Amino acid sequence: MLEIKDIRKSFGKNEILKGVDLKIDKGDVVVILGPSGSGKTTLLRCINFLEKADSGSALFGETEVNLGSASKKQIYQIRKKIAFVFQNYNLFNNKTALENVTEGLIIGRKVPKNDAIEIGKKALDKVGLSEKYDAYPSELSGGQQQRVGIARAVALNPDIILFDEPTSALDPELVGEVLEVMKNIAKEGTTMLVVTHEMSFAKDVANRVIFMDGGVVVEEGTPQEIFVTPKEERTQKFLKRVLPEDYTFYI
Amino acid sequence: MSDGLDFEFLIDTFFVALSGVPIALLITVVSLLIALPLGFLLALTRINKIPVLNRFAQVYVSFVRGTPVIVQIFIIYNSVPLLLSSIFKEYGININVYEINPIWYAFIVFSLNTTAILIEVFRSSISTVSKGQLEAAQSVGLTNVQAFRRIIIPQTLVVALPNICTATVNLIKATSLGYALSLHEITLRAQVAANASYNYVEAYLDIFIVYLIICSLVEYLFKVYEKRLTKYKSAAA
Repeated sequence: MLEIKDIRKSFGKNEILKGVDLKIDKGDVVVILGPSGSGKTTLLRCINFLEKADSGSALFGETEVNLGSASKKQIYQIRKKIAFVFQNYNLFNNKTALENVTEGLIIGRKVPKNDAIEIGKKALDKVGLSEKYDAYPSELSGGQQQRVGIARAVALNPDIILFDEPTSALDPELVGEVLEVMKNIAKEGTTMLVVTHEMSFAKDVANRVIFMDGGVVVEEGTPQEIFVTPKEERTQKFLKRVLPEDYTFYI
Repeated sequence: MSDGLDFEFLIDTFFVALSGVPIALLITVVSLLIALPLGFLLALTRINKIPVLNRFAQVYVSFVRGTPVIVQIFIIYNSVPLLLSSIFKEYGININVYEINPIWYAFIVFSLNTTAILIEVFRSSISTVSKGQLEAAQSVGLTNVQAFRRIIIPQTLVVALPNICTATVNLIKATSLGYALSLHEITLRAQVAANASYNYVEAYLDIFIVYLIICSLVEYLFKVYEKRLTKYKSAAA
């Protein structure tokens, strides 16, 4: 459904992405792991044109675009198929929770207002925020804000949702509620591409795990293959660092 | 000249001064209507470091801020007619530049002046809105124009409003310099009334009070508007 080929991106002399390929099928939940600075977030941002890649191509269904030189029209077209969940939530501060969800529907996709409100309420119900339709972001906890962020993405009914470290900015005790919501929407068959440091999520929910380091994909496979029988040395070293010695996945 | 304040004159002249308010407000409103969008756009060129325009805005701001308004008035008032008359002569347009209503010069001077001030006001307030707001808007399918209109500008305004209020009040007060353009605004009208009877103290008191009243009113209106705009912030408190 989404196929990225040879995507490259530098910031000044610093080459962040050195030719990454990626293929995602409908219903996939793909988790990208890797040390910080490995280019995971940049990869995600380039797919959505929040960052302009230097080169590379994306095949989206039947539409093929050049990631380095897409026209404005193509960018809008692609963005309509993708939703993005940000690390810092980035909820619209001047809008209520419900308005945050409906904004993209009403203004971006020209959905009639009443329909949009209905979709918006359903999306907020799904993330457990039925009581918070009219709350402003400043009135919500980090976990609640991120759940609104997820509702905002889900409501758009996109082909794929990109998650950029959705729990990294949260207090530890709030991580669970967000992961729970993500698990639920994954179960519904939503196609997801997730950058995260939550190993348990990768293990339990992903059907494919990609390990990135130094701007390239080092290894990819099922969670079983990556976590239990990693082939590459860099993968093994990374896992050793992030997973405690006596870590078992069944705690 | 009599001893003490001439209260009858004080009251009569108060209304004379008051009759200059519409002109002062007209200049203020026209200048703001021009300066608000222009200042905002030029502030964007500064923030996004757009080559030539960024530099232009920077130089422009320092020129306007570094010179007294009265001098700007003299320069515009004396140079624009010369410029216009040579243009009119060139193209055979039959308009006498010295019959142009001086209010046009006031519009020019005060718009230029306020634009410079608002560039700085917007520059600081736009940068308080995080880049993530724009990115989020883009990610849900809004165009940049829609994102600015619906997300960025409303948040910018909240931050900028106190400074816009100050700029507006300063502008209202600065219109008193319109007397140098022989504009019949508040100051000139009261002054003329005083010229006849030498009751300057009363006339100046009247001017003082009239400006105080309009400026207080404007400040009050801004405060009400600010309260409405900051609804989303105060909600948490």
